[in-house]
Amino acid sequence: MVVLRDGMCPGLSEELVVALRAADITTVEDLVSSDTEDLAQKCSVSYKALLAIRRVLLAQHTAFPVSGADLYEDLLSSTAILSTGNPSLDKLLDSGLYTGELTELAGGPGSGKTQVCFGVAVNISYQLKQSVIYVDSTGGLSASRLLQMLQAKSCNIEEQMEALQRIQVFPVFDIFSLLGCLHHFRCVGLQQASAGGGSVKAVIVDSVSAVISPILGGKQNEGMSMMTQVAGLLKTIAKDFNVAVLVTNTVTRDGNGQLKAGLGQTWSHVPRIRILLQRLERPGSTCSSVRTATLAKSSRQPCHLKEEFDLQCWGRSEEQLYGMSGKRKHTEPS
Amino acid sequence: MQRDISSYAIAPSVKVKLLNAGFLSAADLCDLRPLQLSKEACISQEEAVEVLQAVRCESGQERAAAGRLTALELLGREQELGTIVTFCSALDMALGGGMPVGKTTEVCGAPGVGKTQLCIQLSVDAQIPVCFGGLGGKSLYIDTEGSFLVQRAVDLAQAAVDHCGLLAEDSEQQEALKGFTVETILSNLFLVRCHDYVELLAETYLLPDFLAQHPGVRLVVIDSIAFSFRHDFEDLSQRTRLLNGLAQRLIQMATNHNVAVILTNQMTTKVWSGQSKLVPALGESWGHAATQRLILHWEGTHRLASLYKSPSQREATVPYQITGQGFRDAPPSDQPKASDDPSVRQSGSLSKRPRTEEDQSTRT
Repeated sequence: MVVLRDGMCPGLSEELVVALRAADITTVEDLVSSDTEDLAQKCSVSYKALLAIRRVLLAQHTAFPVSGADLYEDLLSSTAILSTGNPSLDKLLDSGLYTGELTELAGGPGSGKTQVCFGVAVNISYQLKQSVIYVDSTGGLSASRLLQMLQAKSCNIEEQMEALQRIQVFPVFDIFSLLGCLHHFRCVGLQQASAGGGSVKAVIVDSVSAVISPILGGKQNEGMSMMTQVAGLLKTIAKDFNVAVLVTNTVTRDGNGQLKAGLGQTWSHVPRIRILLQRLERPGSTCSSVRTATLAKSSRQPCHLKEEFDLQCWGRSEEQLYGMSGKRKHTEPS
Repeated sequence: MQRDISSYAIAPSVKVKLLNAGFLSAADLCDLRPLQLSKEACISQEEAVEVLQAVRCESGQERAAAGRLTALELLGREQELGTIVTFCSALDMALGGGMPVGKTTEVCGAPGVGKTQLCIQLSVDAQIPVCFGGLGGKSLYIDTEGSFLVQRAVDLAQAAVDHCGLLAEDSEQQEALKGFTVETILSNLFLVRCHDYVELLAETYLLPDFLAQHPGVRLVVIDSIAFSFRHDFEDLSQRTRLLNGLAQRLIQMATNHNVAVILTNQMTTKVWSGQSKLVPALGESWGHAATQRLILHWEGTHRLASLYKSPSQREATVPYQITGQGFRDAPPSDQPKASDDPSVRQSGSLSKRPRTEEDQSTRT
């Protein structure tokens, strides 16, 4: 519904807008769907002029179809796969985070979602030397932990500082700030928004449920609309700028007591890949850093694949990591 | 690419009227005057002025980019902010120096395990002068249970002053000690009493103004969040929503005003597949609210503190005790087998400033 204003296209003058409004035509849709001849008579305007205006407005406001082959070529040339830095997670994700897609990490408190986000950010900024945008809505971003992870990868202080500079942090604590921030990215582009070296390859939002759950439910009727706006913006950013978007979410229990990701059915259609993180309930080891990741939704792999991984793997150097990989257990789907 | 009207912070009834009048995006509004807008959308002039202010302020899009910083700058800021010691060196080491400023920490525990003692101790410790390794700030204590006892605060303040008195070496510290007395500690401790959840929520809305007027405040303690929210709530989903909104406001306040926020929570029993477990109250979604979570529990006659959730520290369990002088380390002779002892030593975080060492001789 776009309101007709004078100057929108050549030939649409103020008097014509007033005349159209008198004939009950206020928006572009009304103009395009009405009978042009009839309208020309009512507003005492030439049929040709009205037809020309209609054509220009249609050209301005229609969507353009793209052929499947072009889309496929585009996808092949522009998609990149970003490794998370953890071989088990990469296996679950079919070798890493795909750009142009939204991946979701869901888990209870203390299950490691923020640590995985840190690990991904560090891996992209240090190994791949690309920028990362980190939108933090829980206050959980700890730069000292990022530095710790970088120190395990390299002893060169300059490299560590450079890698830290490639991670841009945007603190947002309510839904309107988040929408403003995402709009800002969409309008000025991620390069300008990040102003760091290298191109932005990933946008991490930790966590999306913290800002959305206070407005969902009860007598509030705006919650769902805001949630879908966030979803739309994230997907557009992922597609238009060719970045991988990683979001974190909480978990709830459904009727049978099974864990499922939070924010409801509507949100469950938004991410392309969904991973559920859980602590391992092993008797005897209360403070362990091992977590299980279950693939709950994926467009490339069969669901319910499970992997175990250690949260400390990002804090270890490469030799320790690959030396240990032989001993790590992998649970196979039955 | 214009921003939808529905994504601005405008009242829902006004939004509906704007949408019905055909205004969909910010571009439609940008060159209108308030009088024109109020006529076309049938809203009052004040509402029209508010709408235009909201739209124009955001369209500069400075606010979105204003808060951003690189991780390197954030690192510098974190190091500047410092931590608040708890006077229990094992716990301080597990926490990476103490309670972090600029983050929210939740302290959960069964009754009598020491949550209020820890809160009063932190309110005193936040005021330790900078030259002794403290923050030299003020504290705000929001009491919902009525468990704050002034006499206990006096005891803890006296112990802290004596401790610093023993440590004072050079003239700067002697000078600072003159300003660090029981009277000044108590006068820099602001106390608010809330009787139900409505008062508590109202207080959190008023807090940003209070913190702007008193920029020296470094600690806000809410003891306890659970008490007001566990009684008289029929609609549990409303409770979850209110708590989530509260958590977001608290973390926003902690970040914008550089304060440490400590929340106290109670424990409840969860029956799960035939077994019962003691878990923190207020539900599973509340577990995500605080940045760090500390669970205090008993093991026989010993008190243990477990760091359950933290973005920068590893999980650890340390023993502690409550003495006449406050929150202290457990005596080394009868320390129980605290799990993950080696991990406590190699917490690996950056040690930022000279720590106030535990002086065994001050204990009677």
